[in-house]
Amino acid sequence: MSEVKVLTEFYHLPEFQTLAGYKAKGGYETLPKALKMQPQAIIDEVKASGLRGRGGAGFPTGMKWGFLPKNGEPRYLLCNADEGEPGTFKDRMMMERAPHQLIEGMIISAFAVGSNKGYIYVRGEYVYPIECLYKALKEAYDAGLLGKNILGSGFDFDLDVYRGAGAYICGEETGMISSLEGLKGQPKLKPPFPAVQGYLRKPTIVNNVETLAAVTYIVRDGAATYRKHGTEKSAGTKLFSLSGNVMKPGNYEVPLGYPLMDLIMKEGGGMKPGRRLKAVIPGGSSAPVLTAEEVGKANLDYESLAGLGTMLGSGAVIVIDDSQCMVDMLGVLSHFYAHESCGQCTPCREGTGWLNKILHSILEGRGRLQDIDLLIKVADNMKGKTICALSDAAALPVLSFVTKFRDEFEFYVREGRSKVKGTTYAEMHH
Amino acid sequence: MPKCTINGKEVEVKEGTSIIKAMVDSGERIAHYCWHDGLSVAGVCRLCMVEIEGNPRVQIACNTTITEGMKINNTSDKVRDAVKWGLDFHLINHPLDCPICDQAGECGLQDQYMEYGKYDPEMAEHKQKKHKVVDLGPTVVLDSERCILCSRCVRFTEEVSKTNELGIFNRGDRSEIGTHDGLELNNKYSLNTVDICPVGALTSKDFRFRQRVWYLKDAETVCNGCSTGCNIKAYYNREGFFRVKPSYNEKVNGHWMCDEGRDVYKFVNQEHRLLKAQVRGAAGWTEMAAGAAAKKASEVLKAAAADSIALVLTAQYTVEEYDAIVSTFVNEFKTKKIFFWINNKESFDEFDGLLIRGDKNPNTKGLLKVLEKHGITATWNELSAGLASGSVKTVVVAGPENQAVFKDFAERAKELSKAQNLIWLQAGKNEALMSLTGNVWLIPTKTFVEKDGTFINFAGLEQKFKKVTTVVSEALTLTEASLLMAGKNLAIPTAAQPFMPNNQRVDQVELEARKKNEFVFRRGSL
Ligand SMILES: Cc1cc2nc3c(=O)[nH]c(=O)nc-3n(C[C@H](O)[C@H](O)[C@H](O)COP(=O)(O)O)c2cc1C
Ligand code: SF4
Ligand code: SF4
Ligand code: SF4
Ligand code: FES
Repeated sequence: MSEVKVLTEFYHLPEFQTLAGYKAKGGYETLPKALKMQPQAIIDEVKASGLRGRGGAGFPTGMKWGFLPKNGEPRYLLCNADEGEPGTFKDRMMMERAPHQLIEGMIISAFAVGSNKGYIYVRGEYVYPIECLYKALKEAYDAGLLGKNILGSGFDFDLDVYRGAGAYICGEETGMISSLEGLKGQPKLKPPFPAVQGYLRKPTIVNNVETLAAVTYIVRDGAATYRKHGTEKSAGTKLFSLSGNVMKPGNYEVPLGYPLMDLIMKEGGGMKPGRRLKAVIPGGSSAPVLTAEEVGKANLDYESLAGLGTMLGSGAVIVIDDSQCMVDMLGVLSHFYAHESCGQCTPCREGTGWLNKILHSILEGRGRLQDIDLLIKVADNMKGKTICALSDAAALPVLSFVTKFRDEFEFYVREGRSKVKGTTYAEMHH
Repeated sequence: MPKCTINGKEVEVKEGTSIIKAMVDSGERIAHYCWHDGLSVAGVCRLCMVEIEGNPRVQIACNTTITEGMKINNTSDKVRDAVKWGLDFHLINHPLDCPICDQAGECGLQDQYMEYGKYDPEMAEHKQKKHKVVDLGPTVVLDSERCILCSRCVRFTEEVSKTNELGIFNRGDRSEIGTHDGLELNNKYSLNTVDICPVGALTSKDFRFRQRVWYLKDAETVCNGCSTGCNIKAYYNREGFFRVKPSYNEKVNGHWMCDEGRDVYKFVNQEHRLLKAQVRGAAGWTEMAAGAAAKKASEVLKAAAADSIALVLTAQYTVEEYDAIVSTFVNEFKTKKIFFWINNKESFDEFDGLLIRGDKNPNTKGLLKVLEKHGITATWNELSAGLASGSVKTVVVAGPENQAVFKDFAERAKELSKAQNLIWLQAGKNEALMSLTGNVWLIPTKTFVEKDGTFINFAGLEQKFKKVTTVVSEALTLTEASLLMAGKNLAIPTAAQPFMPNNQRVDQVELEARKKNEFVFRRGSL
């Protein structure tokens, strides 16, 4: 097996960014076909394709669309391009290289779910992708691909870009909705779920950039063709953002079910000279870490990774070699979550801060042996108790790092310095 | 009407009822901080955990609607452990302020800790530092370190007072309550935020540092601040009354009361009261016992011709008292010259849409009802004419308890003093009365917290209430005063004492000094 380019086939062409370049490669040929279909037929096709959300949770997309109330109530289609999960940078590339691919996918999806208004919510730091989207939106409007009566079909769809302010929590779908509503970016209590009561209290579908872009190809080729790639339960291809201690970091599109080790060794060009693989975070920083041994057994699909107690998440594969200190790394991650917790739910607000403080006490040489178990206890009690999954996302790395690399934590507490690097925190960071 | 089982007990609830509401209503104990029956659901404290059969994860009770056949429990080890940890997350950054915290003794954290806590804390890190003694506005002070970010106060200003002054600023464990730029917490209902704050983060400027709550008793009564008649709890001890809080009544005030009503305890206290009768004759003022003064007044009334006697009533007494005094005047003194002293006529019918009404009397409807029953139709103009012509010679007045809402007090007192004999019954001291000349009987009456009775509110709702305590032991109710004025015998305590000694205790004096020692509030630098 190797890379299979469905979404990224023409990403190497600079002109693919423009309307003309996109059209030259068959772009916007699926749209008129889709607009002649019954919306329900598109939803059925997406259901049959087995497409699962590429934003992190892997929720079946067709099923999510099916939760919308079956009435004429106005509804919104929101594209989640907040891409905040540490290690993830695929949506950015998609918006830079192929903004029209996303737009076409969104028009088709909007038609399927019966929405006349959509937003692309992009994280504020993505200045260049936003520029690309604006250009593409203008081209699309000028060509009658957006706005009233698209291609004479009678279907109206307006699409706009909303620039976020760069908070991780605004990637959580209801946090994103709050932000879009002009409120503080805080997740909303569920139920009600967005499909029933979302943006401006109207039914709303939130999908990731990659999810929406894939819809075009499912409609173009049919569910069966889409299913040719991937596994029974994890259909299709997916973009993986490979980063960390590998020779060739970057975005790679591979079929789901692809061996994780192959992605690192083949696509990623393997480890740096003289370095051994120690661990991999397979699905963005929130996913539990895998040891080198576990990496050998892991395939990049939802089930295989779940079987190993971790998750596919957003597809951010972070490679860790034997030069890395796990205590230090966890310190960085915990700081991130403590900084990004929106602070509504007590276990998350207080727990993320507490974990971060304990880890930094250990890192700065004030650790006590009981702090290691305390980390586990605190993290354990932050799981499954809050409004959104950020609390779990903060807890899972702690649980996996501490249990799988306990010796490094114990060494650090006893010696006041890193087992791997031999140095203290101050020395490591100056 | 779905049926469910809560901790083994079968309960039937209305469609759409949340688990927490059903539990609270059926007397089950459930830890909670953010949920409040009068506000929207926030679901942020994560303390109200319950186990629902068939669901492996514990759920929050406040955002879960009961469905038919649900089996709910919150006594399992799993739930108790979840609550214990939920509580610990609330406590890790909480200061150990209890000894100097006004909430101590009625604090949600202390209560839940006694139920679910009692462990050795494992938090060994530095606690978050936040702003303390933040001056939020004219009525409330915030201590951010004590705040558990339940958002009740924010939701109150958004949903109830609709004034939107408060918000939560910053994120994560740096989150803090504050007022939006350029605003202060300044609305007519602001002190409700102090009541619903489950901890000592919001304190009332009026109450803070004045009493430890465990030295206070409380009792239910009805606010006499306006014709809405909010149900309240009055808190008191031997030093006097210290605060009132709203008491839930779906039909009247729901969970709330207004800030103005918070002051009704003040004029009840001894320092504002007539402690003895003051009688003015040719030789000037003399002090005497209330009962003795009323007896003396009865001689004047007995000697007066029926058509020279008039009675003036304010709408601040109970229905029972009106009945007694009006009957006495109609039947014993044979006069129907009975007049309703209406204060602030212009704003009588105003209503702010929530609770506050322009009629600043608790019992206008009650008074009108009694007057009607006795066929009284006299108007103030007739009284004025009678006073001017000298045909009205002896006037008995039941003056207002809450003098602050009688802007025309001095003016009316002056007009009434045209009478040869002015018998003025009233609870509170008043300078204007002391400067009157002629024959004046100033007789102390009991306040609304010192008697049983009924108020009829703006909507015609009869609210019966019970005596809370006695503040001025020799003060009379109007009923007692009528009997005495009619020459009947009545055992009225004449000496100062039983409940409160009239000579102030030393610590009472200190207390006054403390009250005057206004806090200098400054907002910490951000
Ligand atoms: C803390 C947090 C951050 C998230 N950030 C993102 C994000 O940056 N981009 C994204 O697509 N989904 C993100 N998600 C997942 C979304 O909530 C949501 O599940 C997703 O956008 C749905 O789209 P999909 O079904 O197409 O994956 C995040 C979730 C959580 C809990
Ligand atoms: S889990 Fe954390 S980030 Fe999510 S809503 Fe609660 S406090 Fe906010
Ligand atoms: S809020 Fe409660 S726990 Fe906190 S200091 Fe005050 S009394 Fe103590
Ligand atoms: S100040 Fe009190 S009511 Fe407001 S959020 Fe804090 S704890 Fe809750
Ligand atoms: S009371 Fe339910 S989460 Fe706070």
